[in-house]
Amino acid sequence: MKRRRFLIPSLLAAGLGAHDPARAAGDEPGVVPPPTDPDGASLARLYSQDHLFTLASHRSHSSHSSHSSGSGGGGHYSHTSHRSSTSGYDGGSFSYDPPAMPSLPRTPSSSPSPPNQTAPLPLFAPSERASPPTSDGLAPLSGRTRRFAAIVRRVELALLAQDFYKGPIDGTVTPELRAALRAFQGKRGLDVTGTITPATLDALMVASQ
Amino acid sequence: MIPLSLRGLAEAKAPYVVRLRTAACGEPGPDDARSVGQDDEGVAFSGSNGLLAIDGASAAMLDGDVVLVDPRRQRVERLLRAGSQHNTLVVTERCDQLCVMCSQPPKKTHVDRFALLEKACLLAAPDLLIGISGGEPTLFKEELLGMVERVISARPDLSFHILSNGQHFTEQDIPRLAAPVYRRVSWGIPIYAATAGLHDAIVAKDGAFVALQNGLAVLIMAGARVELRTVLVKDNLNALPELARFVAARLQFVEAWSLMQLEHVGFAKGRWANLFADHREAFAPLAEAIDYATLHGVRAQLFNFPRCTVPAAYRRLARASISDWKRKFPDRCAPCREQVECGGFFAWHPDDHANQMVQPL
Repeated sequence: MKRRRFLIPSLLAAGLGAHDPARAAGDEPGVVPPPTDPDGASLARLYSQDHLFTLASHRSHSSHSSHSSGSGGGGHYSHTSHRSSTSGYDGGSFSYDPPAMPSLPRTPSSSPSPPNQTAPLPLFAPSERASPPTSDGLAPLSGRTRRFAAIVRRVELALLAQDFYKGPIDGTVTPELRAALRAFQGKRGLDVTGTITPATLDALMVASQ
Repeated sequence: MIPLSLRGLAEAKAPYVVRLRTAACGEPGPDDARSVGQDDEGVAFSGSNGLLAIDGASAAMLDGDVVLVDPRRQRVERLLRAGSQHNTLVVTERCDQLCVMCSQPPKKTHVDRFALLEKACLLAAPDLLIGISGGEPTLFKEELLGMVERVISARPDLSFHILSNGQHFTEQDIPRLAAPVYRRVSWGIPIYAATAGLHDAIVAKDGAFVALQNGLAVLIMAGARVELRTVLVKDNLNALPELARFVAARLQFVEAWSLMQLEHVGFAKGRWANLFADHREAFAPLAEAIDYATLHGVRAQLFNFPRCTVPAAYRRLARASISDWKRKFPDRCAPCREQVECGGFFAWHPDDHANQMVQPL
């Protein structure tokens, strides 16, 4: 039953990679990638709905340290843009503790694609989400955190679609994701590193060149 | 200023060294990370150590750079920048001297990064000259020499220039330093005066001058390649002719003698008024020292002297010595025709002082 409910999102997830070659055009010198990546983004949004609040609290792991330690030029970048479609949900929680959050199979039932969610940046603007309630005094997410989590999230989706991964789509590298990466790499005859290598991204058709 | 340290988020937990490549570079090697995404705030790479998201740089800007990633501090250090002739590896921040004008004041702690730095050297672009600095690198002589020997053996196209106070060599080192790999190693060794009293006072270490002479003797006997370095301060300006006689008489084997103007950073920043000797007003001792050295076959050269501040007869000795990443020219230099050959100023040199010093050629 669960399985069937998942079929369509999974196929979509598998199709996600198809957008990436275009996006990777941004790797050419001087070319700025398009700010949106339509289907993938909304799909990611779809998945991440339930995890939002958990992620917001996890955020402190990385963004705190990154902003406090100072002199690097990175800090202020985080203020400049929340328009990136996935940015609002970046936990940035680059943490090895498995996050205490609902596991994915519950996701579809609680966010069964409200129609307006596919519209570009709807009611709940990502920017509002990205800046936490000021009571916790956290700085906004840095660009690197968003960039990092966006790719991890794609990897999670792609591994999920191929049944290697069952954890949350949260942009976090967990032991569970590492295990999934190792399983995938072993199955595909890639170097088994448990890390997000270029060969793995290519094989998953995520962010390929 | 070219940033040497960037903010980066890494998938790995332990520090590692990797070479960054753009996606266009084809199949990445085992120690390469390939760019896998870029936006206007930064770029992401993927390699065998996993993902690495860097802020404030583009893939094109970093292509070919060998970087050290420190995940815990979220820092990416550009150890060897592709296409730059000015790459310096800091092997330790510990030092046994405390020079009055030190540009990089030492720290007590030593973080051993030799293994990572060695890996970086092995990934260097062909024919690269790699600078090694500190702290005092020879406080870790065994690690240093081991690294240099292994790297040159594996990569005979590379060469090293090592800044060292030269005080930690012993007779036992002579055969080792005479080995063929050391033809690709040159040593930059400071000497500030021809007398122990003045030299020791400037480096704030008793016995430094005597130890230095012993070290230089070892280097002579090993046939090492040595560049002497003398930073100009008020205290040794008038002692330069005497130092020139000393160098010509006893240290004639050196490949070059670099006379260096002060760098406005570190200790020198706070002590500028007491240390800075304005060579525009007092070039005579410099000229005398240069003349004497040159006449005796010692190649003297000027570092960190903007060309226009040097009398025309000595201008050809003024090298563009300041590393690309920390070089700048004040506004008044705009019309100058010799900017290409000029070292300019350190990026941290106060603009008003720099503007006041120059006279566009």
